[in-house]
Amino acid sequence: MIKLSHVRKAYQIDNDVEFVALHDISLEINRGEFTALVGPSGSGKSTLMHIIGLLDLPTSGEIVINGDDISHLDDNALSTLRNEFVGFVFQQFNLINKLTVLENVLLPTYYARKKLSYDPEKRAMEILDRFGIGSKANSRPNRISGGQQQRVAIARSLIMSPDMILADEPTGNLDTKTGDEIMALLKDLNREDNMTVVIVTHEPDIAARTNRQIRIVDGSIESKNP
Amino acid sequence: MKQLTITIQSAIFDFSRNKGRTFLTSLGILIGVLAVVLLTAFGLGLRVFIEQQFESLGSNLVRVVPGKILQGGGFRGGSSAMGTIRFDEKDVLRIERVKGVKMVVPVFTKSITIQGASESIFSDMYTSTAGVFEALNVKPQAGILFTERDVSKRSKVVVIGPTIAEKLYGTPKRAVGNTIKVESQTFRIIGVAEKKGGGFGGPDFDSYVYMPYKTAFIFNPQKTFLALIILAETEDSIPKVKRGVEEELLVRYNEDDFSVIEQQELIGAISSIFSMINTVLLAIAAISLVVGGIGIMNIMYVTVTERIKEIGIRRALGARKSDILLLFLVESVILSLLGGAGGLLLSAIIVFFIHPYFPAYISMESVLLALGVSSAIGIIFGVFPAKKAADLSPIDAIRYE
Ligand SMILES: Nc1ncnc2c1ncn2[C@@H]1O[C@H](COP(=O)(O)OP(=O)(O)OP(=O)(O)O)[C@@H](O)[C@H]1O
Ligand SMILES: [Mg+2]
Repeated sequence: MIKLSHVRKAYQIDNDVEFVALHDISLEINRGEFTALVGPSGSGKSTLMHIIGLLDLPTSGEIVINGDDISHLDDNALSTLRNEFVGFVFQQFNLINKLTVLENVLLPTYYARKKLSYDPEKRAMEILDRFGIGSKANSRPNRISGGQQQRVAIARSLIMSPDMILADEPTGNLDTKTGDEIMALLKDLNREDNMTVVIVTHEPDIAARTNRQIRIVDGSIESKNP
Repeated sequence: MKQLTITIQSAIFDFSRNKGRTFLTSLGILIGVLAVVLLTAFGLGLRVFIEQQFESLGSNLVRVVPGKILQGGGFRGGSSAMGTIRFDEKDVLRIERVKGVKMVVPVFTKSITIQGASESIFSDMYTSTAGVFEALNVKPQAGILFTERDVSKRSKVVVIGPTIAEKLYGTPKRAVGNTIKVESQTFRIIGVAEKKGGGFGGPDFDSYVYMPYKTAFIFNPQKTFLALIILAETEDSIPKVKRGVEEELLVRYNEDDFSVIEQQELIGAISSIFSMINTVLLAIAAISLVVGGIGIMNIMYVTVTERIKEIGIRRALGARKSDILLLFLVESVILSLLGGAGGLLLSAIIVFFIHPYFPAYISMESVLLALGVSSAIGIIFGVFPAKKAADLSPIDAIRYE
């Protein structure tokens, strides 16, 4: 579904000093996989995640999505891919507090360029109900618990029916029990709905609940478990 | 459409959380729009007022005055503007023969002191033929007007304005039959004219003393006139009358010695002076709009910085640069429109309270202009901050803390 070949990401620190966050990364993520990116802090997990999610572009290397090379796409086309192809879930939830829960979930549909085959509001409510937070639809995100906020964020990532969900440390801001619930929810999406899920985590028990782990150390892939 | 509604809603939500800041930001535009709309309202009112003043005199009028006072639709300055010639009874006879002329009313005016029963007041004496009442549309509210007979007999009678009647005798009715003294000559008051309004720098007809012109030769030993008012038979005959009168006068006078002016030219000349003053004032007021716009730009830059994270989130969810641009443009336009609407409302209130005293009014054009200009300011001064927001890189924005 998405294939990265020889992806390199370097940050210009000073005029002649550059910091290489990712060296020569090649990997492929296939439909229906539940993958964990693991590795020590600062190893480049988030950087890789942002590149997979088209939020950031590699310094060099090739990215092919569903058979298409994205290197020559302009900003508008990349925006459309972010809108339709991926759903992001962040550690800090990243909900907009001046919008209601329902409006947050609907936010990606405001930016949809394609005609949606479903009623967004109805679908949003279905997802919220499935996640047990339908009653919070009209609340502001800062008025509900962290676990509930992360469910809202996952609901938002699903509203456009993306090809995959990218979750950067989705349990990082939650206690163990709530974190487990969120993991169960993602696992459920993967199993029941065949959703492709990629998470970043540095907790081994969380990583253990996925089907595939990719370990990043110092910007390179160390080993792969099939 | 839906997206725009949500954008507007969230902008309003933002503003309601920052009421003080929103108010202060809009205040600049509010003051600017208030100044512009009020000035326009007064400008329009002044024009209406002037036209009303002239219309109350009746149309079909052509005036002959000494000097060349008009030039190219406006008043002309310089020494030749005020003429030195005076007209006499011979001119009246000649002009009466011009085709299309219904009546010629010679006018001699003089500032006088009137002595009534108990006090003396300053006034203007307006001496003419009996036709002056028809030409200037003057009607009696008490008593009668003087006639041609009074003129030829040199009767010592006067018709006075209501203001004088009230000052000297309390009511117009009581004034009739009483006398006034002008320069130790006694005149009988035979009538009091109806109220006409005026003043405010224009001619105050209500304080005039109308006297038969031949009677007034006591005060006018040269038997000359300062102006000739010509009543044309119809409005259409005015151009023909003007030409005829000019030809007639050129026999005795030089081109530059006199002017033949129709009512409309005079209104036009006066209006053009006022509209020039108004334009200058408007230009000054417009500066305050620019200052208000800069205030909006300033706050929008602050808003963009405060909301970098939000911009990042929206970009991560698929918002294009143009969506972000629109988001902030809508906000600055709403801010500016808020100020514009406030300024408009405040000027409407002020005009409402002033209206009984002065015909100031807010036209549909100035409403549309005020709203149009404030939206334009919102766009012009909002576009730079909005562009800055749109050009942020999605990844930098979402990592911003
Ligand atoms: N904009 C940037 N400029 C310079 N260096 C950067 C930038 N963004 C990230 N880095 C560096 O790249 C490296 C990888 O960062 P990244 O956020 O991907 O790490 P991570 O594996 O997600 O760590 P953590 O587990 O702490 O979230 C880090 O050393 C970081 O300092
Ligand atoms: Mg990270």
